[in-house]
Amino acid sequence: MIEVSGLTKYYGNKKAVEDLNFTINSGEVVGFLGPNGAGKSTTMNILTGYLSATSGTAKIDGMDILDDPIEAKRHIGYMPEIPPLYLDMTVDEYLNFAAELKGVRTAVKRKHIADICEQVSITHVKNRVIKNLSKGYKQRVGLAMALIGDPDTLILDEPTVGLDPIQIIEIRNVIKELGRRRTVVLSSHILSEVQAICERVLVINNGTIVANDTPENLSTNISGEHKLNVCVAGPVQSALSVLRSVDGMVNVALRTDNEDGTANFVVESDPSVDIRKPMFFALAKAGYPILSLQPLDMSLEDIFLRLTVEETGTARGSRKKVAK
Amino acid sequence: MIAIMKRDLRSFFTSPIGYVVLAAFLLFCNFFFYSTNIQGGASSLSYVFNNMLLILVFLIPLVTMRLMSEEMKQRTDQMLLTAPVRVVDIVVGKYLSAMMVFVIALACTFTWPLIVTMFGDPAVYEIIGNYVAMTLLISCLVSVGIFISSLTESQIIAAILSFIVMIALFMFSSIASAVDNVVVSAVLNWLSVFSRYSGFTAGVFSLADVVYYISVTVVFLFLTTRVIEKKRWA
Repeated sequence: MIEVSGLTKYYGNKKAVEDLNFTINSGEVVGFLGPNGAGKSTTMNILTGYLSATSGTAKIDGMDILDDPIEAKRHIGYMPEIPPLYLDMTVDEYLNFAAELKGVRTAVKRKHIADICEQVSITHVKNRVIKNLSKGYKQRVGLAMALIGDPDTLILDEPTVGLDPIQIIEIRNVIKELGRRRTVVLSSHILSEVQAICERVLVINNGTIVANDTPENLSTNISGEHKLNVCVAGPVQSALSVLRSVDGMVNVALRTDNEDGTANFVVESDPSVDIRKPMFFALAKAGYPILSLQPLDMSLEDIFLRLTVEETGTARGSRKKVAK
Repeated sequence: MIAIMKRDLRSFFTSPIGYVVLAAFLLFCNFFFYSTNIQGGASSLSYVFNNMLLILVFLIPLVTMRLMSEEMKQRTDQMLLTAPVRVVDIVVGKYLSAMMVFVIALACTFTWPLIVTMFGDPAVYEIIGNYVAMTLLISCLVSVGIFISSLTESQIIAAILSFIVMIALFMFSSIASAVDNVVVSAVLNWLSVFSRYSGFTAGVFSLADVVYYISVTVVFLFLTTRVIEKKRWA
């Protein structure tokens, strides 16, 4: 469990984060989301005791990171943005060093390291010098280092940055797996990533939290409306009138009129009604089959832009443009 | 502390630096030993130990330059500082690793007293005194080197700064004798870690100097921890 209250950090006169307040419960997987320079890394560095806050407190499992650093750090596994690897060591030597540093008992050390290597799939590179590993493997070794000592809280700073798409998926799966019995905090500026892994998102911009919710709630609450993208086979005008006649329909707009006799519509319904069934029956009765039906919730990208633009206090006009 | 010492010691000997330092140390020191004690037939090792000082001025920075600066540059300090260890453990671990290199180097010179005893009648206490005092002096200089290394991310700058500081320390006593002002020359003399060594080569084992060397070591190791602590408040 992580409790943060009133956390503020200034680098000289430059504000990095200001008055952060949040609680992350045990077992939660939470994402810090924000553009580059928003204060994600600074927050993580403070949580792990690498930096000290100018004011405010951070507690890990009830222990203050400043007052009781050794105990608090025992509960944290941290993978910084650039994995702190000793390039001249082999993976095995490095993990052994990490285990000794974190005080893992000698009797269980071998097995502990072997288990972790298995978990992040680096067993086959164990005897290679870290310098010669690819970026993806270095990232995994960094993750393995964070896992040493079996901490109940994992703090991962941009764990997938610089990886190829396959590696990203692999690392995400590893993190999801780890999150089953641990508290995981990860940061990212990639929204789909946070959406894929996290149960809760903290959107950070300019050093303050601008949103704190589940990815789903964020997309429904902020967009505040239900939109669907419907592809219908049939004449445009008559399909349009059928759609408009459905109960609970707020708005129907033609998106594209395809040459093969199909048309795409964007339909907007009352949030309290599930429009999909009545729409299906209405169109089926008229003999216009639905070819595809997709929810058109605001993507996190849209929300993100909207939140961060609001935050910087830009005029309403540009916000609308973004929302469009 | 032990984990950090082991890691750093290992890294000295997985890179060429440990071997280069050992080889240079033994080459020059054995040359002095050969010319003084074997060719010259002297039984006292003090002359060799006196010359050893100059060699150490050049070798100690090579060992200490990377200790803190490389960690900062490679960002591995993030691993050390977020691990459940105290800053002082990190600094002392690094100090011990550098000390180990020179203890190994000194251990390689144990052949000298053996050879001297075989062919002559050396002053045993003078030799023991020399070894103890040399270890203490090295400890002093290593702590200064680590401190300088914690000030910069660049190994090269750390090395150059350490050379300058150590050469200056080496020259303090001669500068002191050139200065007219009594106070300045007294201060310089007091600061001169090397001039204190001459007592030991003369066979005088001064407890005050031992305390002085240990104190300087402690002060610089403490300052190093402060520099590292300060970084997180910046």
